[in-house]
Amino acid sequence: MIPLDTEAQPGSGKTVARRRRKKLTFDKVSFMVVFLGLPLAMYLIFVISPFAQAFYYSMTDWSGFTPTMNFIGLSNYQRLFSDDIFMKAVGNNILLVIVLPIVTIILSLVLATLVTVGGSSKGQIKGLRNSSFYRVVSFFPYTIPAIAIGIMWGQIYDPSNGLLNGILTSLGLDQFKSFPWLGDERTAMVATMFVIIWGFVGFYMVLFVAGIKGIPAELFEAARIDGAGRLRTAISITIPLIRGNIQTAYIYMGILALDAFVYMAALNSGGGPNNSTLVMSQQLFFTAFNKGQFGLASAMGVVLAIMTLLFSGLVFLVNQLTGGNKDVSE
Amino acid sequence: MAVLVPLGGSLASCATGGGSGAAAGPTGTVSDTNPFGMADKSTVDAVIFKGGYGIDYVEFAGKKLESVHAGSSAKVSPSTDISQELQPRFVGGNPPDLIDNSGAKAIGFSTILAQLEDLTSVVNAKNLEGTAIKDTLYEGVLAPGTFDGKLAALNYVLTVYAMWYSASLFADNGWTVPKTWDEALALGAKAKEKGKYLFVWGKEAATYYQEMAIASAIKEGGDDVRLSLENLKADCWSQPALQSVFGALQKAVAAGYFKPGGSGTQFTAAQAQWSNAQDALLYPSGSWIENEMKDQTKSDFKMTGVPVPTVTSGSKFPYESLHSAAGEPFVVPSQAKNAAGGKELLRIMLSKDAATNFAKTKLAPTIIKGTVPADGFGSTALVSQTKMLEAAGSHIYTWNFIDLYGMNKDMLVVWNTFLDGKSDVATLTSSLQSITDKVRNDSSIKKIEVK
Repeated sequence: MIPLDTEAQPGSGKTVARRRRKKLTFDKVSFMVVFLGLPLAMYLIFVISPFAQAFYYSMTDWSGFTPTMNFIGLSNYQRLFSDDIFMKAVGNNILLVIVLPIVTIILSLVLATLVTVGGSSKGQIKGLRNSSFYRVVSFFPYTIPAIAIGIMWGQIYDPSNGLLNGILTSLGLDQFKSFPWLGDERTAMVATMFVIIWGFVGFYMVLFVAGIKGIPAELFEAARIDGAGRLRTAISITIPLIRGNIQTAYIYMGILALDAFVYMAALNSGGGPNNSTLVMSQQLFFTAFNKGQFGLASAMGVVLAIMTLLFSGLVFLVNQLTGGNKDVSE
Repeated sequence: MAVLVPLGGSLASCATGGGSGAAAGPTGTVSDTNPFGMADKSTVDAVIFKGGYGIDYVEFAGKKLESVHAGSSAKVSPSTDISQELQPRFVGGNPPDLIDNSGAKAIGFSTILAQLEDLTSVVNAKNLEGTAIKDTLYEGVLAPGTFDGKLAALNYVLTVYAMWYSASLFADNGWTVPKTWDEALALGAKAKEKGKYLFVWGKEAATYYQEMAIASAIKEGGDDVRLSLENLKADCWSQPALQSVFGALQKAVAAGYFKPGGSGTQFTAAQAQWSNAQDALLYPSGSWIENEMKDQTKSDFKMTGVPVPTVTSGSKFPYESLHSAAGEPFVVPSQAKNAAGGKELLRIMLSKDAATNFAKTKLAPTIIKGTVPADGFGSTALVSQTKMLEAAGSHIYTWNFIDLYGMNKDMLVVWNTFLDGKSDVATLTSSLQSITDKVRNDSSIKKIEVK
């Protein structure tokens, strides 16, 4: 996992050094084995060792079905970066990682603000009328499994019998008769992104609602007395105070965008028109199990892991540079 | 700390740690009733792809094996994900004795070829009725399983690739089945008058039209067309025969004879537009189509198959020649504990009883001749298959290069764009050529020369 809090404890190093070593009792040893040794061993075996193995396999020509393989150095990586289809997949992932978190977070922030502090400007600070109802309804999509969402939207987007084209043509928009939303290069990616955003807005809204509820109501009241409107309150009070939540949401959504396997596989299992919705994880799976090139597929996995790490690092960096580490509540 | 030691030990051994590669286990005496020397009282471990045909036909043969060899048994397990499920067993050196390596997630043959038994001994053996199995087979059925001269897979089910239509719909409208592409285009115009389309396609099955194009081009240009493609020649897609077919398809696309929206339609939904809504007249597919659409076919549809059109009436192969290939490749891994048992189960499946049982319950012929009666168990599609096979005689051909090198996924993209009217013959040709060129120029992929 990515450590979300990297703050170091000041002065903790010195105290350890000064402390005297005590004799090891059975109690202590068994405690250490169970609570330190065991988790550490599990972590090494199930997390670190597969990583190391994948990295090793990425430098071999392993087909996946033989006990032997040849070491071929970095030539798998060389092949990947000259492979136009894989580079297309990388490009699609980058597009997803830019668009998905921003749109999802903005939408869910707006909704969260509306249902918590967006209500009447008289009396107590509260959300819109019936806000608890909206909160529950917008959470619904998140409770549906991703694969079911994919299948459902696949039907909605169906060119001949789909709900979407049915509505559009009944409104008199005849150009949408038999329009393949998922089969046209111009719309496939946008249509797919919409499905993912639809699925996650409710979840992040609930996350932000919890964050906003943690802000003392007096702050909002004070802002209102000072004459701040709703937009100004949202930008100057809400967002700075739940900045930590937003950063977390951004990273989670970004990691999802770098994977996105289930949605892509359900909506366009083949990678979409001209590979416009193909993502790295799909290409990885296909290379490993259909083409029998586990070495190359492992290299794709390593590239994906490195991109994920870079992305999280970048989010932290941007947040630091824009003053995210300043504690505004004090 | 004792707990940690065994866990730590497993750290060193990685996923490829096993694989001592011990050869086959105990063997029995070889005789006419036990031609491969299967050990007495042994168990045959079979993993069967569970797709349209299910696994009960192998279980049927398994029961038979238990009665022929008292004390031995067959364990038949289903799988829908052969590649992922069996990958660790191949690496660990304990693969099953018999595998039906089929479905979308089958193991690519070029990856495991060296680890498979040559099944020539099975074909040479006598079946349960005492006839040599090779004398009971249809023409050319061993070709798809033969790689570099080695019979690595025995394809059990006979698939006929054809153009399918509703005999009742054609009779009602007085339409005739097109035998050339010009006739097909003329029929497209007539369909248009009735508000129907000539063809329909689904996004996962756009390459069915590639199959039809190649089949038609081979009829026109003969075996050279096929060999050029099979060996991934530098200009294989530019051959005149293929270009004429592509040209005809493009005319059909441009004239609006393809139902629009296929690139966004799930393929079974598209097929239902043909078999149930009857929006389209013709659909190119393999003979599994009847079984696949069983629940979504209009009553009295009278599904019938005919050979795909030719380019000219002077084609090198006659109109009746047919793309037919045996499917459901059964393989026996050399490292299997009871490889002889795997072959024995396969021998029993190839005997008359088991083959007839398959034809009757699945409404599809196996590679064994003479198991389908004249009424085709009441199926018009099955009757037309038998007819097409008889008419074709020895003019039966097939090709392997697409599945062998796993190119279908990349080709789907190209075909969806073409059928959608967003590219032309030149773009189609160059895109397909770049896919085959990529495989040819990749030295890490082992090529198999076809002669």
